[in-house]
Amino acid sequence: MDENKKSSGRNVIETEITMGPVHPAALEPYRVRLFVEDEIVKDAEITVGVNHRGIERIMEGLPVEKANSLTEKICGICSNVHIWNSVMVAEKGLEIEIPERASYIRVIMGELERLHSHLLYLAHGNEVLGHETFAMRIFYIRETVMELLRMIGGNRVQYGVSIIGGVRPRCELDEMRIQKIKEGMDFIEEKVAEFADRFVSDPMIMSRITGVCPIPKKEALRLAVSGPSLRATGVDMDLRRDMECYDPFDFDVITLEGGDVKANLLMRVLEIPESIKIIRQAIKNLPGGPITDRTWEMQDTGVIKSYVEAARGRLYHSYRLEEGRVRGSIVRTPSMSNIGAMQYACIGHHITDAQLGIVQCDPCFTCTDRAIQIIKL
Amino acid sequence: MEASTIIYSTAAVIGTIIVAFIISIWLPGIERKFVQARIQQRIGPPISSPGIMAPLKFFFKETINPNSPLPRLYNALPLVGIIIVLFIFLFLIPEMYFLTALTSIIAIVGLLKIEEVIYVFMGSFSRSIMSLSMPFPDVIKGAAHPNIKKSFLEDLSSLRAFRLIAFGSFPLYIALFVPVAMAGSIFLGDIVAYQQLNGPVLFSLAGILGAIVYFIGYMILLNEYPFAILKTKADVIEGPYMEYAAKYRSYTYLTRGFLMFTLGALFSVLFLGIPPNILSWGILVNILVALLFPILSAFMSAFSPIFTFKQFYPVAAGVSLLGVLAILATFV
Repeated sequence: MDENKKSSGRNVIETEITMGPVHPAALEPYRVRLFVEDEIVKDAEITVGVNHRGIERIMEGLPVEKANSLTEKICGICSNVHIWNSVMVAEKGLEIEIPERASYIRVIMGELERLHSHLLYLAHGNEVLGHETFAMRIFYIRETVMELLRMIGGNRVQYGVSIIGGVRPRCELDEMRIQKIKEGMDFIEEKVAEFADRFVSDPMIMSRITGVCPIPKKEALRLAVSGPSLRATGVDMDLRRDMECYDPFDFDVITLEGGDVKANLLMRVLEIPESIKIIRQAIKNLPGGPITDRTWEMQDTGVIKSYVEAARGRLYHSYRLEEGRVRGSIVRTPSMSNIGAMQYACIGHHITDAQLGIVQCDPCFTCTDRAIQIIKL
Repeated sequence: MEASTIIYSTAAVIGTIIVAFIISIWLPGIERKFVQARIQQRIGPPISSPGIMAPLKFFFKETINPNSPLPRLYNALPLVGIIIVLFIFLFLIPEMYFLTALTSIIAIVGLLKIEEVIYVFMGSFSRSIMSLSMPFPDVIKGAAHPNIKKSFLEDLSSLRAFRLIAFGSFPLYIALFVPVAMAGSIFLGDIVAYQQLNGPVLFSLAGILGAIVYFIGYMILLNEYPFAILKTKADVIEGPYMEYAAKYRSYTYLTRGFLMFTLGALFSVLFLGIPPNILSWGILVNILVALLFPILSAFMSAFSPIFTFKQFYPVAAGVSLLGVLAILATFV
């Protein structure tokens, strides 16, 4: 016991409860070791690696278009943003100006994906809370977004919208599609508002989530948290403001205080109307013209880096091009930097709340699992 | 005693148990399909699935022996559970009231306590693979506490079952004593007779308060949401039942359905003065109450998150206090 006390620097730990890599509360395989004393978590360790696929290694030497398609397989939830960012790396390196209409369509897809990711987060959060009714109802709302994504991309998970120079011809938005998107946005806005009203006025839910697993602003910055989880601690940071394609759109960056489960859940609820706002503006002002420019020429480049604001936070892609092939690809997903916060959030809380502490950071371990780290000895 | 009376009584007891069993196997389906699934806007399982088809299916599955220090005792516990519930129901039937001591509230409380203790044993005797760790300290992955005693998820649920015995069952047991205080007797026969003379306990202030407390106690005993900390999906998953396979799992399902009916029948006896008896129209009231309780409970469960002890303690304490008020109200 003394050894434990010394190693942890915290309290004496009685036992270890291990959950995972397969557990019904976890959407993806990971292992969490909770070191507990009387059901209160004193320390936590999250281990990933069960789903490692080494996509960067597979991308090595592939033609850039093929490698870009592969990045979409990194994640089943934020597949679009991966291929978008990977394509942007090539476009930056090759100095390609994409048509304005293509940029708008990419933004629409990006925001639709954010909607579906945030709704999934809310559904999963409610499921872990034990509120299956809310979880089911949110899945019902999310279905509208999934159908819109399928309509544009032709698929519910892998949309393949972005290509170097614009978007695929099949993703063109005609009048019928635009009308359906408009109707979808009206429906989601109404239903999410209804859900939000009921959610915040439910005393049982508020008692379960208020003040649970908070991450203070200072700790969030120290742990390099990103995305909505960072904004829920009060840090005003959103990479969309720095992305050129978002310049034509007016939207607010929401920040909340506390960084607890309540702040995180409400952060997603409040970001949904902002995404709807962006989509409506994009549809209203959708420029005419082509959606793809295929006149670019391949050339060798140095290491090119690109950051985007994915639904879960800051997403990084980089590689260099040699004879049209990808070399030295690196991908860093938001969950990679949020793992530390997940571990931190659990400490001092009940075991049942620990899963909430992990879920509040919107983990996507399948994304994270493909990251590789090379340490030079 | 005449032979015809013995035959009449035996037929009444057996018939009542059979009817109760037939109704009870539909209760989990009604709860999950007709209420929860409708509220949650999903199709839900077939009505026969949770109570009938699932136990039937499990009954013919291959038994997988769990990793348990006492596997025979572990596997016997669901059977013990169903037998105890059967005994509770048996003692509610008027034909059994001649067994005076066993047909008292004290006996019912004792049997319900055994039912609760079974959860503690179930959790203690199970070692599921769900919480297994590597046999070696994984220092290589940066483990900060490599030599800590490892605990299983079932141990956790066992601990929770123990805590529930200590405080979670208070509301139900306090509510059971409201009719006792009104009738001035612990015997079920006397409580029924009192209500036949003075009207149901439910139609009094103490009775109404007692019924509310009883209903909360019913939900806690059945581990319904929000009181399902014993089998929370976020951590202990199915808790004590996790490793039961084949016919043993089937017994746990049947026990749950039958316990639902039995607690409904117990309410009818204590608060309405109508014991279950196949040879009386009163059995319809028993069936109605047994149906009403899961429906109300499903409504409440569908709109509640799971309580941790932080919420559970104050709720249990508050409801118990209400129960005490109900008992005090019987003296007014």
